[in-house]
Amino acid sequence: MKLEEIIEFLGERVPRLEVGVLEKVKAFVIRDFKTWWTYRLWVLLDITGALTSVATYYFVSKIVTPTALVSAGYTADFLTFTVIGIAFQHYVWSSVSGLSEAIRDEQYDGTMETILSSRTSFRVFLLGESVFRFMVGSYFLIASLAMGLIIGAKFNLTLGSILSAIVLTILLIASHMVVGVLGAGAILKLKEGDPIVWAFTWLTQLFSGVLYPLGLLPGYLQWIGAAFPLTYSLDGLRRCLMNGEDLASAAILGDAANLLLFIVVMLPVSLWVFKVAYDSTRREGALGQY
Amino acid sequence: MKQAELIEILTEDKPRVKLPLRQFYGVVWSSVKMMFAYKSWMIMDLLSTFASVVMYYFVGLQVNPLSLSQTGWGTNYLAFALIGVATSNYLWSCLVRLSHSIQHEIRGGTLETVAVTPVDMLTFFIGQTVRGYLVSLILLVGIFVVGTGGMGVEFQMMPGPLIAALILFILMLISNQALGLIAAGVIMVYKRGDPIAFLVASMNEFLAGVLYPLEMLGAFPLLQAISMMFPYTYALDGMRRALILGASLADANVLTDVLVLFGFSAVLAPIGFAVLNWGYRTIRANGSTSSY
Repeated sequence: MKLEEIIEFLGERVPRLEVGVLEKVKAFVIRDFKTWWTYRLWVLLDITGALTSVATYYFVSKIVTPTALVSAGYTADFLTFTVIGIAFQHYVWSSVSGLSEAIRDEQYDGTMETILSSRTSFRVFLLGESVFRFMVGSYFLIASLAMGLIIGAKFNLTLGSILSAIVLTILLIASHMVVGVLGAGAILKLKEGDPIVWAFTWLTQLFSGVLYPLGLLPGYLQWIGAAFPLTYSLDGLRRCLMNGEDLASAAILGDAANLLLFIVVMLPVSLWVFKVAYDSTRREGALGQY
Repeated sequence: MKQAELIEILTEDKPRVKLPLRQFYGVVWSSVKMMFAYKSWMIMDLLSTFASVVMYYFVGLQVNPLSLSQTGWGTNYLAFALIGVATSNYLWSCLVRLSHSIQHEIRGGTLETVAVTPVDMLTFFIGQTVRGYLVSLILLVGIFVVGTGGMGVEFQMMPGPLIAALILFILMLISNQALGLIAAGVIMVYKRGDPIAFLVASMNEFLAGVLYPLEMLGAFPLLQAISMMFPYTYALDGMRRALILGASLADANVLTDVLVLFGFSAVLAPIGFAVLNWGYRTIRANGSTSSY
């Protein structure tokens, strides 16, 4: 075979199957579900962990006085307050850390390089990796809320408050995908530890009012909580699910506006950070290194 | 080189280090070196633990001191919670650390390598647990320093309560580590069961009353009965009596806790070693020291 023939053969443009974004995301979800389902015992264990957390605060609620909750504008029900806090905090933590772990696993197994060398952009890759994590997180969220309901949490639900809670949950997911993408960028470059997700987890536990209203924090610490989307999400969701308020309430509308602002500002930033980390890792040829 | 010389060299009997203490030191030192290789994790763990102390401080602000004192545990919820949080790291370390570590060695193929050396395997396994103890010790000291120095928690620091707390703590380690040895032996053979060990540890943490007074379980006799089956429940009760209420070994409740824990330790420790030994002999016999 002559040289020209070889070049022509290798340079031949074979039309590839065009696969839409939705099809690709669906493929990611099916793949991740199959992997997840092989660890059924761990799934059971994860749920048990979330449920024992909720049950623990049932007992703590027996010695708590709800004065601080009332001052913060919530109904006097510490159990419901903590059930919502734990359920949604666990939801975003499992989804956000799950994305970083997925990136880490792809690097470890050497499959990330393979996927990204195909006609799948890093944006679709990130979306595909995120969707299943949030689906699994939703599963834990529903289990935790149901457990709360069984042990005596009281939700004040109207059609308006349910719809408002759904809107806030969608904003919660979108805003925390941003955090997940930032964490994924960090893990891509650093390869060990998970500083963004770690800092996010403990800072939100402290300053977003998961187990106590923010009014208990000294003024100079309250502003830290204002930087996290979980703070607004929890406040809005509690007002909807505990107080029965809806988006017509100024406080909830303010929370939704803050979440929207966070998404609009931080989404391009997080995608840019991930792209910088991704390009740098690609240049170093370290996509498959761990 | 002649064939006879070669055979002589290969069959030469080189004296190897067989002293158990030297071997133990070697295993511990390798674990410690690995631990410090992950400095960022260590720092993150430490900071997260400090954050949890601050978090329980704010949770404690919502607790009604009168309600807490009615359960017999004084009026400071943070002091109550700190003892639970600080010791629960040890609980996890005792129950799951060894099985996790052995699985890691099996996956990495290094257990087989160690097994063909003259290292005594019991020494090796016990040495593997030390890393978890060290991490837990760092966290425990950190929690108490932040709690007492930064959050104003006051514990009873007289010799009587301190000695009682120390004895209870040691018995807690022995009895829970014995359960950890059983888990490690079973997991070594069946290559699964790690989730069960985690489940036992999380149920133990929940039912022993790490964050709430055990008196609250009174309305749930089944849960209360299950909680009485865990040695950690007695350790936590006794240590709180000593460090919060100032009780010493002369106190009937503390003495009961010590005796129960001693009973757990005396029964579980030989079983733990036997199961671990059985597990190791089984995987050697069926040649699965490096399969998972």
